[in-house]
Amino acid sequence: MHAFFTVNTVTELICLLISVICLYKDKNVYWRSFMLYLLMVCIVEMVGISLRLEHKPNYALYTWFLVIECTMISCFFYHLYRKYHHKPGQLYSWLGLFILVFLLELFTNHFSNFASKTAAFMSVVFVIASLYYYVLILKDEHFRKLETYPPFWIVNGVLFFYFGSTACNVFFDYLLQEKAHSLSLSTRYVTFNILNVLLYSCWSYAFICRYRQRN
Amino acid sequence: MLVLRFYMQISSKELILLIAIITFIFLIAPLFLIIYIFLYNKKKAKHLEEKEVLKKTFELELLKSQVEVQEHILQTIAGDLHDNIGQLLSLTSMTLSSIKADHLREEKINTAAELTHRAIKELRQLSKKMNGQELIKKSLGHAIAYELDWLKKGLAYEIQFTDNTTHSISAHADKELIMFRLFQEILSNILKHAQATRIKITIDQTKDYLSLFVQDNGKGFILADKLEAGDGLGLGNLQKRTSMMDGNFTINSTPGKGTDIQVSIPYQ
Repeated sequence: MHAFFTVNTVTELICLLISVICLYKDKNVYWRSFMLYLLMVCIVEMVGISLRLEHKPNYALYTWFLVIECTMISCFFYHLYRKYHHKPGQLYSWLGLFILVFLLELFTNHFSNFASKTAAFMSVVFVIASLYYYVLILKDEHFRKLETYPPFWIVNGVLFFYFGSTACNVFFDYLLQEKAHSLSLSTRYVTFNILNVLLYSCWSYAFICRYRQRN
Repeated sequence: MLVLRFYMQISSKELILLIAIITFIFLIAPLFLIIYIFLYNKKKAKHLEEKEVLKKTFELELLKSQVEVQEHILQTIAGDLHDNIGQLLSLTSMTLSSIKADHLREEKINTAAELTHRAIKELRQLSKKMNGQELIKKSLGHAIAYELDWLKKGLAYEIQFTDNTTHSISAHADKELIMFRLFQEILSNILKHAQATRIKITIDQTKDYLSLFVQDNGKGFILADKLEAGDGLGLGNLQKRTSMMDGNFTINSTPGKGTDIQVSIPYQ
């Protein structure tokens, strides 16, 4: 049983709990959808662990979850950009491009591996999206107290996670090689533990700020 | 191919160390970026604050100039009324009194002379009222009492005036003048809109403040509604003029019961 409670899963569960407490009565659908997304993250993580324990491959699960991850984060970025008069066409174009790259990679590797190139591509786009959001904030004449501004902390978490995971994504194929398997596994594992803690800490803080500002 | 060659040149241990270092750098970079954004944002806040202060200062300066120009115009009109029209009326009065006529005409001439005399008196009073600086020379209490005398003559109001001031500070003559103009505007609002029968005016002086308190028993209003409808009865103007002197302006109104207005300005 304790195999299910790793640093990753505990962090995700805590974040899910905070999101439910803080966003349950939130009127904004984009913010409320974080609860559903985090629930799905926790379920995928648990199923992934149980598949691993049964010595079955779990890459397919994580590969298909990329679509949900990309949709959720892209929609939230769209929600943030909407204030600056961005059109929904940009969101649909990006999601279309993502699906194209995703399917192309799946067909290329014959559905036999994790879509790491799509994940790397998605990471780069999210890093650019985060940086663009910072530019919009800096250009905005309206002043915001960023210490407690929830969207800013969501974007901070996204930037930390996707920028930090770039190296792991780029060298993903190598890190899977058997030669360096044990060492690489620990490197990847520790890296993603740190990134997950950073991501979900930032998000939890954003949810708390959102809750406090709503009340 | 390049990556493969790269893999072959360095050992797997070194490569993993390299990946760890790259990841570490990739974590440090956003951290510094976020710190930079925080600092920039703080600078922006400071800049906006300064901009706001400058805007406020500019508005106050503009208001000050407006008040000064207004005072100057009033003073000029008061002077013209007193010196030109007053002189003409005096001459008319003298001319009328020098006419020697029969009994029938004499009565009419006397009536005309009396009317002219009254016109001169009214004109002098009006001129004095307009010339605030002249009026305020004695004290604020004296100027308010003079204004109320003028009011008592024409209209049936129950007026109660209490002057609790002890001394005038000559250095603050401008403040007293603005306070007097505020009082005139408040009084004018009461006469125009309040439908009051009783007006109570009190001026107080403490060590640091000079306060004016005006209370009426008129129809009152809901302040938020008036402000929302943009029908502020010049309340915004009163507020601005008070803040020009770093003072406090408070207003309480209850529909059907009346309105209380209090203006306090630093006076030390």
